[in-house]
Amino acid sequence: MELLEIHHLSKSFPGVKALDDVSLAVRPGEVHALCGENGAGKSTLMHILSGNLHPETGKIVFDGKELRLKDPLDAFRSGISIVHQHLSLTDTLSVAENIFANRQPVTRWGLIDFERLYRESSVLLERLQIDVDPKVRVGTLSAGQKQMVEIAKALAREPKLLILDEPTASVTDKEVSILFRIIGQLRAEGRSVIYISHRLNEIFEIADTITVLKDGVLQGTWPARDLTRDSLIRLMVGRNLQVQEFASHRGKEVLLEARNLSNSDIHALNLKLHKGEILGMAGLVGAGRTEIARLLFGADPPRQGELLLNQEPVKVTHPENAILNGIFYLPEDRKTQSLFPHMSIEETLFSARLTGKVMTGKVRQFRESAAAFVKKLRVATPDTAKKVAQLSGGNQQKVFLAKLLLGEPKVLIADEPTHGIDIGAKHDVYNLLRQLAAEGRGIILISSELPELLTLCDRILVIRDKKIAGSLSRNEASESRILELAMGSN
Amino acid sequence: MRKILEDRIYSLSALLVVVVAVAGLVYPDTFLTADNFRQLLLNLSIDAIVAVGMMILLIAGVFDLSVGSILAFAGCLTAHLMFFYQVPVFWAVGAGLIASGLLGFLNGYLIAYKGINAMIQTLAMMGIARGLALMVSGAAIQNLPYWFGAIGQSRLLGVQMPVWYMLLIVGVLTFLMSKTVFFRRYYYIGSNEVAAALSGIRVKRMKMIAFIISALLAGIAGILLTSRLGAALPTMGRGLELRVITAVILGGASLSGGTGRIPGALLGALFMGIVANIMVIARVSGYWQDIIVGLILILTLWTDQSLKKNYKL
Amino acid sequence: MNTDSSCNMKSKRFSRLKTVSLIWALLVAGVSCELPTRTGEGQAAGQSDETETAGPPENEEYVMVTTAVTMPMYVNHDQAAFKKWGEKTGVKVSILGPADWDVPAQINTLEEVIGTRPTGILVNGTDAALARAINKAVAAGIPTVVYDSDIPGGRHHAFLGTDWYEIGRMQGEEIVKLTGGKGKIAYMGILGLSNMEDGFRGLLDVLAGYPGMQVVGKYDDKASVEEAARITSDILAAHPDLAGLCGFDSNSGPGMALAVKELGKGGKVKITTVDWEPEHLSLVSQGVIHMLAGQKRELFTWYGAQFLHDMAHGTNRLSGNDERAGITSVPEKVNTGLIRITRENVALFLP
Repeated sequence: MELLEIHHLSKSFPGVKALDDVSLAVRPGEVHALCGENGAGKSTLMHILSGNLHPETGKIVFDGKELRLKDPLDAFRSGISIVHQHLSLTDTLSVAENIFANRQPVTRWGLIDFERLYRESSVLLERLQIDVDPKVRVGTLSAGQKQMVEIAKALAREPKLLILDEPTASVTDKEVSILFRIIGQLRAEGRSVIYISHRLNEIFEIADTITVLKDGVLQGTWPARDLTRDSLIRLMVGRNLQVQEFASHRGKEVLLEARNLSNSDIHALNLKLHKGEILGMAGLVGAGRTEIARLLFGADPPRQGELLLNQEPVKVTHPENAILNGIFYLPEDRKTQSLFPHMSIEETLFSARLTGKVMTGKVRQFRESAAAFVKKLRVATPDTAKKVAQLSGGNQQKVFLAKLLLGEPKVLIADEPTHGIDIGAKHDVYNLLRQLAAEGRGIILISSELPELLTLCDRILVIRDKKIAGSLSRNEASESRILELAMGSN
Repeated sequence: MRKILEDRIYSLSALLVVVVAVAGLVYPDTFLTADNFRQLLLNLSIDAIVAVGMMILLIAGVFDLSVGSILAFAGCLTAHLMFFYQVPVFWAVGAGLIASGLLGFLNGYLIAYKGINAMIQTLAMMGIARGLALMVSGAAIQNLPYWFGAIGQSRLLGVQMPVWYMLLIVGVLTFLMSKTVFFRRYYYIGSNEVAAALSGIRVKRMKMIAFIISALLAGIAGILLTSRLGAALPTMGRGLELRVITAVILGGASLSGGTGRIPGALLGALFMGIVANIMVIARVSGYWQDIIVGLILILTLWTDQSLKKNYKL
Repeated sequence: MNTDSSCNMKSKRFSRLKTVSLIWALLVAGVSCELPTRTGEGQAAGQSDETETAGPPENEEYVMVTTAVTMPMYVNHDQAAFKKWGEKTGVKVSILGPADWDVPAQINTLEEVIGTRPTGILVNGTDAALARAINKAVAAGIPTVVYDSDIPGGRHHAFLGTDWYEIGRMQGEEIVKLTGGKGKIAYMGILGLSNMEDGFRGLLDVLAGYPGMQVVGKYDDKASVEEAARITSDILAAHPDLAGLCGFDSNSGPGMALAVKELGKGGKVKITTVDWEPEHLSLVSQGVIHMLAGQKRELFTWYGAQFLHDMAHGTNRLSGNDERAGITSVPEKVNTGLIRITRENVALFLP
């Protein structure tokens, strides 16, 4: 008997058919991967299963009974727990209170029984082998630890079905292995897992079954062993992605040089970026890569040392100086650092022109070049009056890149530019970065996806404890070599 | 239809037309007269000038509770200098404006650069400026110079000057906020401060400037009110801050920033002025006005939220 | 083609520029700016000859314009008497004004009321700044009476009220008597109101004649009982030998009395204050407050309304045309006098 059966589910939003007659089944004790590009309908399906959205047609049978979910609480009660991509934790409360949010154990006086709360939490965390103190405030945890707490919170309800939405997006490799061990444990207990991820390696490592969605339509369900990486990509994208051959455009001239550049986060940074070079930055989450980017960009301005652009010293004490000198930064977190929630594509692109001296207003010319970039980067909509917030992650990232390119960067620092975006958009970003390098610009690429760094970069700096732990040329670099440097000797 | 409901400038204008039409039908000889409109425009001009500054702040995602007190302080200081020290009108007005700008600078500097919460800082400034106003004025100051009175009591085309100043200020700032890069930055700051800073905008400096502009406009309003009344009262502008924030939110701003347009500030103030006027004409007691404005505010925001809901997820 | 269209645009913009500058030229040259009249005396009498009423006016309505319309003292005394007068006389009476203490809003209301041309306007004289609006009402030919505090510079037809300077003097003389002319005195009220400041002046003028009296401070209780109580306990902490307290707004007395009672000094610290609300009266019977300087507020509005009525109806004519003759047919200034309430006579005021 199947644990979950979905029959002919449909759901549309104004202008989009998000799900079109989708059916699928999950067996008990199965890890079922759900694949598809952003906008394929995975999130809509998850929202329906968690009670956030209601389907127009079709039915859901769970554990032998037809399921009609009114709200998320209903889903929890039925035995479905979901771990969302965007964390649902409260930073100011303890781990234990987050795990038992809204259902803390109480004493017979109706007051919260903290002793029991901590005891039950630590039992749960121990069982999952998550090394976190239940009394510590969530705000002090790393992104990866938060993700683990989030999973513990979902499992505290003893669900029959656990849905994980991009659980490894902000997690280090070590935590990924812990997560996979937990999933294995669940599978052994006969619980089912629906696993959503853009990371194909993980899918092939963990999944028993793979279902592919594209534009709201079911492409099919296959045992994982019947698919290969290439065939899965083809199913998701619907086209063959051209993998460009690597070609170095690294020139002789040094474009950007930091000499003993320091601020409160980074001590004495020395690095050189050549013209046409793609310089990778690898490291564990929290190693200090973003801090280096912010130092170079003037967001956390330097207190000591020198920054030279084309051998000329430049003073970068605010992003404004950086931008006026042609140094641009694509932030790591799209939603909190790049997105203007009220703004249209055009208005967002216009923010490229807000710095420094008031630029002369050839608005029409600007509009034309903005529209050209939107087209060139293959943003899903040609309508530049559309709100950026309504676009998928990949398309948003393209808009933000277009904004930077409008400023004619000499140096582009891209912090996790492909984080959480779908594979088609990823390839567009890769091709763009290569093209920029070919035009003689310098690129610093911060990424947690090692294959990405290995395909794109001329050189890779490995960061550990806010310092450059090593510099690997393209020929020397390999995943194991990078990890060795990133994790240190022990 | 949906478009009209969604853009507050249109929806509020439509509501205004309906209100004016109904009031005009019910009170044809008292409401729909040129005199009455001249009077109600004059009465709301002070609020509208302050509302323009508040609109800029709310677009940038902050607000200022001290505008009412700064208004009183600017008016009282100007009157004090003229009355007790015989300072010429021009310099006294200049001093009043500079003083209000300084208080705005203090607000802006402490909020933007020192990270003091805007509500707490401006709440403190509300008390400080009110105290300063009382200090320089004692009881009301009267018998101000003739030319000072002329600033706010002269008429152009039969309409008293504060109305023209209001229109000028609304016009200039509407132009600046929609057409210049400098002022356009406030929309980005209000929409996402972090992203704005990473786009190279000097967020702190811009925020400080917004507080200075708002305080200056409050100062202008205070001097105009003093001139119009022919007296400086330390109690001027009591409760003004909340009234103005209400007007600005009615006019399309939101407390979370990034939205709103300058003409909305005028429309909001106009709406509240007309409601107040109708209350007077209908001989309805003062507190009903507060109740009605409160209900309309809830109603507009409710409509907004229900329209938005369709876009969720 | 491109140049063509831009040319076109240019000429269009140019013509728009021309119209705009034309309008401005008109504004500046043709219509020009009207300055206010110099001292405001010019329009005193002559302007309103049309309104010499022959018979009773149509749609008779009397409007009271006040501030803080919800303040209990106003509601229970001024407004109650005004309404009672309306009922007795059988004419419409309306009460308008902002809910809070906001003089500019009261002025706005008054100016808007003028446009609706009521039969008569009764104005609560909260602040001297009302003068211009009052003169506007008078110039519009509307009988206008001010009550409570007089408005210097106002050309209203009549004033009824209490002399606040006298309130101050009365308290001063009482406190001198109570303390035997020796000791420390503090006083409080709403700072920045002209009538209060007059009262403060009266008090200080009396105390100045007694070298044994020492004034330790002038405080702003912001018309709040809590604030008055807090200030009083602070003063008593600093000056345990405080001899007397004088209050000038409705809430000063209850606040001062509260603090004095809580510190166990009830009766020892002499208190005089204004108003005779039930709370004040009961504190007098308890012996905590020693004297109340009460106003006859009912008389302000009752006779104020009656004055308006008599003017509108031409009850007493003193000349062929009173208005042209520049005279008013009602008393110009009425001092309704003060009520002195002490422990001896308090029983008569209690309900």
